[in-house]
Amino acid sequence: MKASIEWLKEYTNIDVDVVKLGDILTMTGSKVETIEQKGNDIKNVVVGKILEIEKHPDADKLVVTKVDVGNEKIQIVTGAKNIKEGDIVPIAKDGSELPGGVKIKKGSLRGVDSYGMMCSIGELNLGLADYPNQIEDGIMILDKSLEKDIGKDIVNILNLKEDIIDFEITSNRPDCFSIEGLGRETAASLNETFKNPRKNIDELNVETKKELEGLKVDIEAPDLCYRYIARIVKNVKVGPSPEWMVRRLKACGIRSINNIVDITNYVMLEMGQPMHAFDINSIEGKHITVRRAKKGEKITTLDEQERELDENNLVIADDKKAVAIAGVMGGLNSEIEDDTTTVVFESAVFYGGSVRKTAKKVGLRTESSSRFEKGLSAENALRAANRAVELIELLGAGEAIDGKIDVYPTKQKINKIKFDVEKINNLLGTNLSKQEMVAILEKLDIKVEEDTIISPYFRMDLEFLADIAEEIGRFYGYDKLDSTLIKADTTLGIRNKEQNIKKKVRDVLVNNGLSEIYTYGFVSQKDLEMSNISEETVKYAITIQNPLSDEYKLMRPTTIPSMMQILATNANKKNQNVKLFDLSRNYRNIKQEVQNGEVPLQEEILTIGMYGEDVDFYTLKGLLENILEAISINHYEVEKETKNASYHPGRCANIAIGKDIVASFGEVHPEVLDNYMISKRAYLLEANITKLVKYAKQNKKYVEVPKFPAVERDIAVIIDETIEVGQIEKIVTKKAKKLLESIQLFDIYRNEKLGENKKSVAYSLIFRDKNKTLSDEEINQIMEDIIAELEKQLGATLRK
Amino acid sequence: MKEEIVKIKENSVKEITNCKDEKELNDLKVKYLGKKGELTVVLRGMGSLSAEERPEIGSLVNQVRDELEYLIQNKEKEFKRKELEKKLQTENIDVTEPSKKINLGSLHPITQIIEEVEEIFLGMGYKIADGPEVEKAIYNFDKLNTPPDHPARDIQDTFYITEDIVLRSQTSPVQARVMENQKPPIKIICPGAVYRSDSVDATHSPVFHQIEGLVVDKNISMTDLKGTLEMFAKKCLGENTKIRFRPHHFPFTEPSAEADVSCFVCGGKGCRVCKGEGWIELLRLWNGTSKCPKKLWDRPRRIFRFCIWIWSRKNCNGKIWDRGHEIII
Repeated sequence: MKASIEWLKEYTNIDVDVVKLGDILTMTGSKVETIEQKGNDIKNVVVGKILEIEKHPDADKLVVTKVDVGNEKIQIVTGAKNIKEGDIVPIAKDGSELPGGVKIKKGSLRGVDSYGMMCSIGELNLGLADYPNQIEDGIMILDKSLEKDIGKDIVNILNLKEDIIDFEITSNRPDCFSIEGLGRETAASLNETFKNPRKNIDELNVETKKELEGLKVDIEAPDLCYRYIARIVKNVKVGPSPEWMVRRLKACGIRSINNIVDITNYVMLEMGQPMHAFDINSIEGKHITVRRAKKGEKITTLDEQERELDENNLVIADDKKAVAIAGVMGGLNSEIEDDTTTVVFESAVFYGGSVRKTAKKVGLRTESSSRFEKGLSAENALRAANRAVELIELLGAGEAIDGKIDVYPTKQKINKIKFDVEKINNLLGTNLSKQEMVAILEKLDIKVEEDTIISPYFRMDLEFLADIAEEIGRFYGYDKLDSTLIKADTTLGIRNKEQNIKKKVRDVLVNNGLSEIYTYGFVSQKDLEMSNISEETVKYAITIQNPLSDEYKLMRPTTIPSMMQILATNANKKNQNVKLFDLSRNYRNIKQEVQNGEVPLQEEILTIGMYGEDVDFYTLKGLLENILEAISINHYEVEKETKNASYHPGRCANIAIGKDIVASFGEVHPEVLDNYMISKRAYLLEANITKLVKYAKQNKKYVEVPKFPAVERDIAVIIDETIEVGQIEKIVTKKAKKLLESIQLFDIYRNEKLGENKKSVAYSLIFRDKNKTLSDEEINQIMEDIIAELEKQLGATLRK
Repeated sequence: MKEEIVKIKENSVKEITNCKDEKELNDLKVKYLGKKGELTVVLRGMGSLSAEERPEIGSLVNQVRDELEYLIQNKEKEFKRKELEKKLQTENIDVTEPSKKINLGSLHPITQIIEEVEEIFLGMGYKIADGPEVEKAIYNFDKLNTPPDHPARDIQDTFYITEDIVLRSQTSPVQARVMENQKPPIKIICPGAVYRSDSVDATHSPVFHQIEGLVVDKNISMTDLKGTLEMFAKKCLGENTKIRFRPHHFPFTEPSAEADVSCFVCGGKGCRVCKGEGWIELLRLWNGTSKCPKKLWDRPRRIFRFCIWIWSRKNCNGKIWDRGHEIII
């Protein structure tokens, strides 16, 4: 909301400059967006009179002039063609400044000295709209009457100075969408008296009539229209508005149309109540109905656009057609024309939510709708209607008809709040007396009767004691509030198990050289296809009704596509070695939760994506083992997975705890790599952190430093190529029982001499008994058992 | 015989002292002390001596042998040292050559900031809470007193899955859930991703991160909120940071304020970052009695809530990482 300081001064005394005023108002809650100081950028430009014009000795297109600028007569060389001797023009003297930071200095044009410049309207940043008699490509010729002002500052003569503040109005303060409301805030903020220049309007008593000049009004939708007032003016003379009104409208960003339309806009700016004026003759049957639109009903609005409406939209209608979209814009069919003689002024209050939805539907957010949508006071509507009529008479633009039509089905409720000084002080952390509080409230026209606070009609936002506390707080000064720390029982600030585990996982990954990325939870159908995600999983995807684009249409049921995209981007940018992780969520609608209004499954997923020289399947496996170790998960199985289509069928594994699969990892399927145009082998890992948290142990056990020596034995066996070494490890572990301290595979050897499709696998085993020194016999026995079992189960032969 | 021994000593000492390398030293050792060495030979000839001469000569020989052994040992050490020195010389390396470290990875800037903020609030006794991102509308709006026609509910602002399920547009539903499930006192912060229907540009993203805080207790006030946030600002942005409360409006609480922190680039003098104002809006906060907790607990409690905005530039998401990551936040 733009407010000119000149207009605000009608309501209160303002002794500070505009910048200071902006600071003060910001700190009392009226946030300043911008401050505009018009005319400040024009310096040392004066009214001058052209005394002589002579030809330039060396240039055909230039002339040399003598100009009277008051205290002296100066020579100016110009190329202007529209000047003649005796003209009064604006002169930028030597050392003057023009808008845009232009500095004018004396100079020489083709050998003749020039001590200034004559200005065009453009050079003074003025528009043809305000100065219709001027031309754009010539010098501004001032009125002859200004001859008396020669030498005076043009800024003062043309009244170019204007200070304007643009405020951000919060949704709870529709009253501040008016100069009146801002005037009240300004007065309270500056600790000045609020002068109410509309006292006469407030005290006016206009008789309510059922019918006025044959016009009747009915509200068919009282849930959407709280009050409808009509006042009528006859013998209207449509014409231009006076300069003061045009100027104020312009300062607030509204263009002058004609006196009738201007009055509606002026009242809206002044009082915050949007108004509408229409020609009574355009109302068929002289009967206005405020009703819901019919589905598909069409209306052409004042901006000459046809709009289609439905039952959710409110219209002002006559007996045959809609004449306005309520609260948004009038219809072209009832527009004020130059030959209009009888005008109806409408001042109505509509339900804000409905106006907002309608404005959005028809794609028209107007000055009017943006006020209505915040919820306006029905009491204020009457003041506005009467003020419009007052202005008509003041401007001599018509004659008011006595009486009003006033349909007011739901009377505005006035809020009363019990005053509790202690509660307010406790809430704010202040120690103010009742008098101090009352003094602040009175500045804001909030009345206190005994122990009851009465919210004024224009402050519908004041409902509870906390609202009152805020009023007191902001005028006491938020900056004056102390900074204290909570005095209460001590609470424990600790991370829970899941948060600790996530932090640990991140630490392990970073220490292993991985960098964290963040990805969006959105994917497209195409992304899922590109990653070969199984149909079953795709079915779990959650569809967004109003996505930003098709690319962002689904909430991902798996994080693989998000990681693949990032790997692809990196590969495309020729980044050589990439190791990334993402700790975020997937979203799975497994049991039709969202259709049943329930929250779907959302699990924390660790996703790792890597490619590069030093990465392969086993690097990834090692990384996962490190993570599991860090969160104390020791018992799990690594199982080969051949059916997950995102992965290479021969190079993928699951980690299972019991029957629960907690992680999958492996090499990315060549088809998927191809889809993402990645030419290197890449590796993926998905670990379900939500599940891992369940299995992770947080209690640590102390392990003694061994007292007895270990025994080390190596063993090499020849087995079929198809046998997984994991099976050997299982057998060894089982047979060695508790004595096995570690088993380490140190060599896999393949050679024709071993036989076709055979491999030799060599392990180093370490045995230890924590209670005694192991004897050779004991170990020999175990080794024999192991070898026998390997032979039996795997057909292994000992390699000698 | 005595003369012979003295002569051997003189010769051998001279030869050992002048010897050039280990091999020569070994030869000398054999020559004098070996089985057939000169001194050994002398010792063997002791049998021909008289009983009176024997102890005297014996002790002389032993004395010479000890001396020679000592000399030889010293000489050996000297040679070893020289040899080592020579070897060490050849093993000289350039310490300024590049190292062979395992490169560390890095946390995303958003995680770094969130962790930093978490540490500050953990230290003040807060817990960390989180909740669903695909959330019920009732938690995202209704329980926070967002009126049915509030603009935030528009499809232009919020992503809808169904009429009742949305992508949370704020972390506030977490607060609603915590208030439902926990009895006061409550002190939590809830960091997390939130979703708003904004296309990606320099200052907008459909997904961004917020950290909200909630305190519910009996004797807390606006001044406590101010003190808490000032503490946070000082720890996070530097001890000289100042905080400024400006009255503002939010539908869920009264009194409400926005908070600016003094510019951490210029310290409040005014610069390009703070657009000359000296203050930067970093926090939105709400304080006061809200309608929802009254319904939840028998006795009304006072609550305060605050929200720290973490703005991350869009290329944080899907950022390309290489060896020299730049940090963009």
